[in-house]
This record gives sequence, structure tokens and C-alpha cells, in this order.
Amino acid sequence: MNKTFLVIGAVAVGLFLFGLSNANGDLGSFGITIMSGLFQAMLLFLVASGLSIVFGLMDVLNFAQGSFFMIGAYVAYAVHHSPQLIAAIPNADIRFIIALLSAVFVGGVLGVFFERALLRPLYARPIFQIVMTFGVALVIGELIKVVWTPTPYSWTAMFTARSGFFTLFEQQFSTYRLFVIGAGFLLIIGIGLLLQRTRIGIIIRAGVEDSQMVEALGINVRAVFTLVFTLGCAVAALGGAVAAPFLGASTGLANQFLLSAIAIVVLGGLGSYGGTAIASILVGVSVAVIQDWSASPGVNAPVWASLTPMILLVLILLIRPSGLFGKEN
Amino acid sequence: MAFWRKTLQTNAGLLIILLLLILLPHIIGLLTGSDPFATRGAAVSWQGTIIEIYILAIFTISYNLLFGFSGVISFGHALFFGMGGYILGLALEYTELTPDMGIIVGILGAVVICGVLGFLIGLASLRLRGVYFTVFTLAIAESFYIFWGRLPLTKGEDGFTLTTLPTWLNPIADRITFYYIVMVIFVLTFLFIRRLMFSPTGAVLLAIRENEERAKTIGYNTLYFKLMAFTVAAMIAALAGVLQVVFNKKVGPELLSVGYTIDPLLMTIIGGAGTFTGPVIGATTLHLLDRTLRDRVITFTPDFALDIGKSWMLISGFIFIIVVIVFPYGIVGTWNRWRAKRRPPITVSSGTQAPIAEKQSG
Repeated sequence: MNKTFLVIGAVAVGLFLFGLSNANGDLGSFGITIMSGLFQAMLLFLVASGLSIVFGLMDVLNFAQGSFFMIGAYVAYAVHHSPQLIAAIPNADIRFIIALLSAVFVGGVLGVFFERALLRPLYARPIFQIVMTFGVALVIGELIKVVWTPTPYSWTAMFTARSGFFTLFEQQFSTYRLFVIGAGFLLIIGIGLLLQRTRIGIIIRAGVEDSQMVEALGINVRAVFTLVFTLGCAVAALGGAVAAPFLGASTGLANQFLLSAIAIVVLGGLGSYGGTAIASILVGVSVAVIQDWSASPGVNAPVWASLTPMILLVLILLIRPSGLFGKEN
Repeated sequence: MAFWRKTLQTNAGLLIILLLLILLPHIIGLLTGSDPFATRGAAVSWQGTIIEIYILAIFTISYNLLFGFSGVISFGHALFFGMGGYILGLALEYTELTPDMGIIVGILGAVVICGVLGFLIGLASLRLRGVYFTVFTLAIAESFYIFWGRLPLTKGEDGFTLTTLPTWLNPIADRITFYYIVMVIFVLTFLFIRRLMFSPTGAVLLAIRENEERAKTIGYNTLYFKLMAFTVAAMIAALAGVLQVVFNKKVGPELLSVGYTIDPLLMTIIGGAGTFTGPVIGATTLHLLDRTLRDRVITFTPDFALDIGKSWMLISGFIFIIVVIVFPYGIVGTWNRWRAKRRPPITVSSGTQAPIAEKQSG
């Protein structure tokens, strides 16, 4: 275990030094890099946490998790920019909160339907469950193209947090990013407490260990499956909604976030909640640092930023086949 | 003599189908009243459709070797398809070779390099269990997709077109020759996989699919057998990619996209995973469905019309979900089950072998 923390520490220090040297010691631009890295990390965590817990509990790797992120982004965009709602509620901040809530709601409802109608008949055939989530991801992507056309949307209607800035090291930082990072950390702690301190959390953790045993103790594990799956989808949709003011809504979001989130979950060790949280931050910050480096005039190869999560994943899987905090067989 | 007579008798069905495939362009020519040797017309357009089916079938057969026969679920099979296409494209367009040499070097290079690539990827990943392996292959394929999509040398996302094909291999000027070339490759692939699966190696692959732990306990090095299947599947997929690129004269990163992993997966499941004719029937069904529905527009109400060509991916996604839930054995698998139910086992010993024999036949 100590070795794992050593590896994490080494990577963190390496990233810090690399990022700082790349910014030529300019604390302001380095701060922006770290900030956007943490912002990215929180979005990734929102997708990856559901993926990780669902896999630990149900042995289903949900390839449609990224699609729920995308749905969240589209719903939040549509609600926040709908002319009727703008007329009804002129206050942009309240409209944004409504947008977030509706994204969570839509994600949750679709999640319940997905688990009950499509995954439940397949528990006897685990291979087909994976194939099924793959198919659902395809259908969601195509449905979004039918409903919203393939053209990407960029967020135009501003609200207080999104348009605000504060100054540090003579650089302007967006308050919205700070807000998301703060809310993300709160969510990490909140879900952690839910898992550690509540009765439902105990059932979930016991289910991750051995779901048959939990069922034998008289607990309706299938109901817990549905609950956790729904929560995972809702949290992913929340992630999309939170990301939309910065990233807009586009059909590329699903794959981009799914692949990074899978990389994170495997990196952290499948089914390990803390591992997922740490790996999210690791991947988010590395992507931001590499992005900074690859966009600098001397290098100019933006492809490296998109490849970073994959390369990290492949390397870690080769060294530790069950991830940082995964159990060795 | 007796040997040949027996071979002819047991394979009579296959021989009739082979004869039919050879005559198919001429039959279509007669039916549509157009010249199969021309450069345009109904017969030539149908030849194009059948060539596409052959290519998809070759690709799907290679995927079925993994998914259906060995129980290895890869979500990165498009990698080898696309890499095969890119290697041929690079050999033809980015080297000083003559078209004839370019095509030979390109095809050999594509098959060999993809074989090596498949071997290395398999070596690194096949010891990962279950979903880890699936994730690994998806990540590798997606990395290559991103890489080729951003590489300025091969014109990034736009890709490039083939301009220098040799005269004997020109799907536009001389389509019927190309038809026979692709047909021969398809038939050879089909027979090769059949031969492989009836060999002792094939039996071990089936054992791994049924229960890998048990196969290991008996003493088989399952990693070695899975690695072999993965490498062979990669080489066949590269061949399919090469043919696709020659036929469309276009190389682009879309060849490596998830779409080209979903196609063989869907075609395998619809046709019947783990059967010989399943992938071929799956590819034929889906592609013919695509072709006949492509240009139709269904109008429900004046405001709401469904353009099938545009939403083909959506429809195939729904087919995918429905098939996985209600129809998991596919067309051939369901047919075999239905036949097996109607015909009770003759002896006790053949009855005990029934599960594997049933999955192998067809």
C-alpha cells in the first residue's frame, strides 16, 4: 500500500515540476493549468464514480456512462437557453439551477429504465450485458443527433458565476471553475461518507465484496442494483450539465469522457472508490499539464493531450494489472 | 476415388453455393437485363453491393473467431481493419513503388504488420481478465483513431484517396475481375476458419470459450491459444481493411472508428455467434437491409418523417438492442436449436456430445 502512495507521490511531484518548468516559473499561468486540470478532474470524477461503483457491485462496465454525461450537457443547454423559460424566469442563476436539476432528473429516469428494462433480463448472460451497454451508447448518440442535430452548441447565456473572475498572481481566474472544483470536492467527500457511514453504504460495500452473500442475508440486492445504477447515471448527467457552460454540448463528449473515465476507473482499481477519486485528479491534472506543453509553440502536437489518459492506462495496466488500489486477484 | 466421392458428397451444399457465387454476376445480369462486364448499370451496381458484403463477411468472420469461437471479447477490432487500410494506402501513395509493387508490398505489409501488432497487443493484454481486456482493446483502438485523425502526413481527419491502382485491380474500370478476386479471398477465409475450427487447435479454443479455468487445468497453455486466435483474427481483419480501401479508393481515420467495431459485433450476433455461416448471413442481412432501406423516407405525419438513410445507425442500434435481448443465438443459432429440438439424439454417446456439435455445425 505504501508503494502505491509512493508511485502517486512521484507522479504528482513529477507533474508539478514539469508543469512549473513549462510555465517558466510563472505562477499565474501555472495556476491556470492546475485549475483547469482540477476542473477537468472533477468532471471526470462525476462520470468515473458511477462507473466504478456500478462495476464493483454489478460486474457491469457501463459503456453508456459517457452518453449520460452527454445527455446532461444537452438537457442543461436546452433548458438554460429555452426561450419560454427565459421569458418566465429572467434570473439566469435560478435558470441554471433548474437546468442542473432537470439534467439530473432526465439522467436518473433514463437510468432506471436502462437497468430495469435492458440490463435485468441479461444478468444470466454477463457478456451480453457489456454488449448491451455498448449498443445503448450507440442509440443514445444517434438519438441526440436526431433531436438536436449533429451541430455542436456553445453556451451563450451567461450567469453570475460563469461570467465572474477573480485575480491571483496577476492572472484572471474564472469563479465558475473554482465553484465546480469546490462542489466536486464536497461531492467526493459526500459520496465517501454515504458509502462509509450509512446503512445503504454498508450494503453497497458488502455487495461489492460478495453480492450473493448479501442476498442470502435477506437484502433485496436487485433493488440496490437499480438504485446505484440510477445514481451513477444521474451523477454522470450532473457532470455533463456542470461541464456544459465551458465545453458546450456536442456529440463528441460521450466518447471523450467515457474513455477517460474508463482509464481512471481501471487506473484507480475497479470497484475502489478512493482509487477512483485519486486517479481522477491524477488524470485531470496530467491532461491539463500535457495540454499546456503540447500546445506550446516549440511542440505543437495537441494529439498528445488526447492520448494522455490512454497512455497512462496502458502503462499502468502493464505494470499493475489490477490498477493502483485494485485487489491482486 | 472413394475419398473424393465422400468429400464431394459431404460438401455438396458448399459446392453448390460456390457455383452460385461464381455465376451470381451473370445471373443478376440476366435478371436485370444489363451487361455484367460493363462499367455501369444495374448488374455492376449489384456487384458492388455483393463485394461490400464479401468484405464485411471476411471482417465479421475474423471477429467471430474471437467473439464466437474463443470467447475473447475485443472492442478494438476496427484497429486492424483501419491499420490494414492505412498501410496499403501509405505503400501506394507515399512511396516511389510502381502500382503493381505497391499493391503487393501494401497487402503483404498490411497483413504482416497487423499480425505483429495483434501479437504484441495480445501479448500485453490477453492475460488481463474479462472486462479489463475489453477496456484495454477499446483504449488502444481509440488511441490509434485519435492518432491517425490528427496526423498531418495523411491529411488528418479528411484522409486521402488512392490515385495509383494497378490496371488489373481497378474496381471501377474492371469491376467483375475485382468481384472474383474478393470472392476467392472470401471463400478461402471461410474454408480456412472451418479447417481451423475442426482441427485440435479449434477444439482447444472452444474449450477456452466454454471454461478457461478447466482448459488450463487440463494442461493447455490457454494464453498461447488465445494469442494465436487474436493474431490470426488481426491478419484477416487487415486483409478486409485492404480490400475495403481498394474498393472505395479512400483511406481515412473513420476506418478505425468504433463504428467498424460495432459492425462486425452486430453482424456476428445477428447471424449467430460461434457458427460458421452466422457471420456471413449476418453481414448479408444487415448490408442488404441497409442498401434497400437507405434511400427510403417514411412519412408518419407531415411534420415528422423518418429519413432512413440518415438514421441508419439509429435503426441498427435498435436492432442491436432487440437482438441482444430476445434473439441472442442469432439467425443460424436459433435455426440450429430449432432443428436440434425436432431431431432427438440418436444414441446416448452422440447425445452427450450434442452441445458442442450443435454450436459447431452450420
